[in-house]
Amino acid sequence: MSESQPSLPDLQAFRQHVCDWLSANAPADPGFTLPQNMLAVATPEQFEFLRAWQRQLYGAGFVGAEWPRECGGRGMPAGTQRIVDQEMGRARVPFMLNAIGLSWAGPTILRYGTEAQKRRYIAPILSADEIWCQGFSEPEAGSDLAALRTRARRDDDDYVIEGHKVWTTLAHFADYMILLARTDPNTAKHAGISFFLMPIRVAGVVVQPLIKMTGEGGFNQVLFSSVRIPLDALLGQEGQGWEIAMTTLSFERGASEGSAGSSATITDSVDRLIALTRALRRDGRPVLDDAVVRERIARFAVEEEAIRYSIPRLHIPGLVADRPAALPLMRKLVSSEFTQRLSDFACELQGYAAALWIDDPAAIDAAEWQRTYLNSFGVTIGGGTSEILRNILGERVLGLPKTR
Amino acid sequence: MTSLRYEDEHALLRDEARRWLAAHAPLSRVRRLADGARGDDPQDWQALAALGWLGLVIPENYGGSGLGFTHLAVLLEETGRQLLPSPMLATMLAAIAIERGGSEAQKARVLPRLAAGDLVATLAHVEPSGAWYPADTTVTRTRGRLSGEKHFVWHAPTADLFVVPFRDDDGAARMALVDATAAGVAVEAEIGLDRTRRSGRLRLREVAVSDDAVLPMSAGAVFDTLLPRACTALAAEMAGGADALLTMTATYATTRVQFGRPIGSFQAVKHPLVNVLIGVEELRSLVYAAASALDAGGDAGEAELLARMAKAHASDLYVFAASRAVQFHGGFGFTIDCDAHFYFKRAHASRPAFGDASHHLRWIAEHVIAHAG
Repeated sequence: MSESQPSLPDLQAFRQHVCDWLSANAPADPGFTLPQNMLAVATPEQFEFLRAWQRQLYGAGFVGAEWPRECGGRGMPAGTQRIVDQEMGRARVPFMLNAIGLSWAGPTILRYGTEAQKRRYIAPILSADEIWCQGFSEPEAGSDLAALRTRARRDDDDYVIEGHKVWTTLAHFADYMILLARTDPNTAKHAGISFFLMPIRVAGVVVQPLIKMTGEGGFNQVLFSSVRIPLDALLGQEGQGWEIAMTTLSFERGASEGSAGSSATITDSVDRLIALTRALRRDGRPVLDDAVVRERIARFAVEEEAIRYSIPRLHIPGLVADRPAALPLMRKLVSSEFTQRLSDFACELQGYAAALWIDDPAAIDAAEWQRTYLNSFGVTIGGGTSEILRNILGERVLGLPKTR
Repeated sequence: MTSLRYEDEHALLRDEARRWLAAHAPLSRVRRLADGARGDDPQDWQALAALGWLGLVIPENYGGSGLGFTHLAVLLEETGRQLLPSPMLATMLAAIAIERGGSEAQKARVLPRLAAGDLVATLAHVEPSGAWYPADTTVTRTRGRLSGEKHFVWHAPTADLFVVPFRDDDGAARMALVDATAAGVAVEAEIGLDRTRRSGRLRLREVAVSDDAVLPMSAGAVFDTLLPRACTALAAEMAGGADALLTMTATYATTRVQFGRPIGSFQAVKHPLVNVLIGVEELRSLVYAAASALDAGGDAGEAELLARMAKAHASDLYVFAASRAVQFHGGFGFTIDCDAHFYFKRAHASRPAFGDASHHLRWIAEHVIAHAG
């Protein structure tokens, strides 16, 4: 049996090991509010807590489980990382802080990087020693990403960066950024873009925090004025940036696999919704006696089960033969919209209490559902809006003509 | 969580089904047969038997192939895609009822003939009121004589054998095997919307039914095991139909030009079609999960949950896909010249069979609330 084809008992034993480790090592309540995901890491104490947790997970072999050993990974068989992610979701432990590095930047570097780049950047991503952010969007380049204007101008042994990036999650704590910048303004829109592994703790970079509608920090705008970075910060070739960025986005949208650890795969939303409803009353009666509420719960249950079984189905070529691209391209779209609708419903069921926020003592579950609902828009907008993803599915999977 | 199973043999069956259906069952023939007296072509029946499809899930010792529900789902997805007008599914469901609840002698007598294509069988389980659980049956057997009425019986006008739930002398609900030629049996064709799957009313007047024509298992127990299998089978067929509508409509939207552009370039058309796509893909995940759970033979509750979820989802999705197909074909879509209406009508006729979405959602709510941690 080759190492990449583990037998079922091996994977089951590994799952048990992960499960045992997590129940022994799950961190205690830190005494302050933890963010729900990497989009909302705002305070230094949150940051240090989560960095320590990722280091602990890395020490246990759960970060970069399938990544090459020579880059600091564990070289374990296919399927092991998914088990870690699933068990972390089940155990409801905190997420891995360096998510952009682990899931987007890292896999992109592994695919396009030189040997030197892989050896330089991958291990500190896994250990959370170097934190990464993503510099794609700009004020005038959101869904129309290729309209980006940030310039990278070659000057002797440096590139000089000028421009403005927005919605930059984790930039206030990050050491590096995957940066899209225009190296050639005189060629076609998509062809003049290059992809950089950019140090951002350098002169000329200004990080300004943006506050989300949840009141939490966590993302930023980043201004570059005459920032000099070395030539070997370029990933791939000049002009190859768009192609590489599309690869990064396919990781970001879950359309390509290869993450070194996710923020946990949550598959029990309906269970948690039911747990919430058990304690609630409306019109003087238990919420669960309400036929309308029950129907909606059942509809969510059907959808959750379909999403859950679509993941193993993805790995069975015969079951996706007709449209191999459909399930991967649907993944972020479907799960983010599902979470949005379900958490909105959980808020509705709370009645007036849904309007209470985190620090109010009467808030139900410390306003967890409200936070989930508000934060869900970060996911239906970021990494390709639901509208853009529907265009992509229509065009690439159904063969419909381009929307212009 | 059930492990999904899909092997080379499933892909081979899919390819075989596609080849045969493309050669023998194009939509042009469905259209021609729909105008005919019976809606199907009796010559298909021997061909389907020879392909081994009729006996697909009938055990080998009764003349079938003894294959599982993943095979069945694969096949029905393809026949649903082509709207194959045939009593195949009805006969299969009758066979499953007999296989689950019949005596050794009944199985040995009937199942090989179903697998061989000697008989067309069908379930006659729906009451004139639309109720369809055995507990609600109004057909009764008194001193060995069966009387009463069943409606919405698939292929009633052409069936040879009916499987009929009834209330017995002792108050128990049981199922009888009733020959179409028996004295006291009368069939009236229903004038249905879906001309590709005909149905009728079965009238029984003092039909002699001896105990050896009554399944030993109670009708309720037969139904408990039949329901998840029927839901999975129907959901697979409906997934194929919805998928065909999606392909047909997407193709039309790339060629039909208005305002100087193909209409599929407009997001008002593109995005709803993507919603159909998402629904079809989610439905397939549920169908193959349900089929795998039935084949694994483990937790019956999980198989039933998945099967009901699949049928609930299929019931809404097929109708939605059909409505978008008609709408996006525009004026042409509203005519009988466009194929969309065949699927539209099949979707509406399939929706109530073995329970629509609201029927199953009630059960699903009960189940998930009881089992939530």
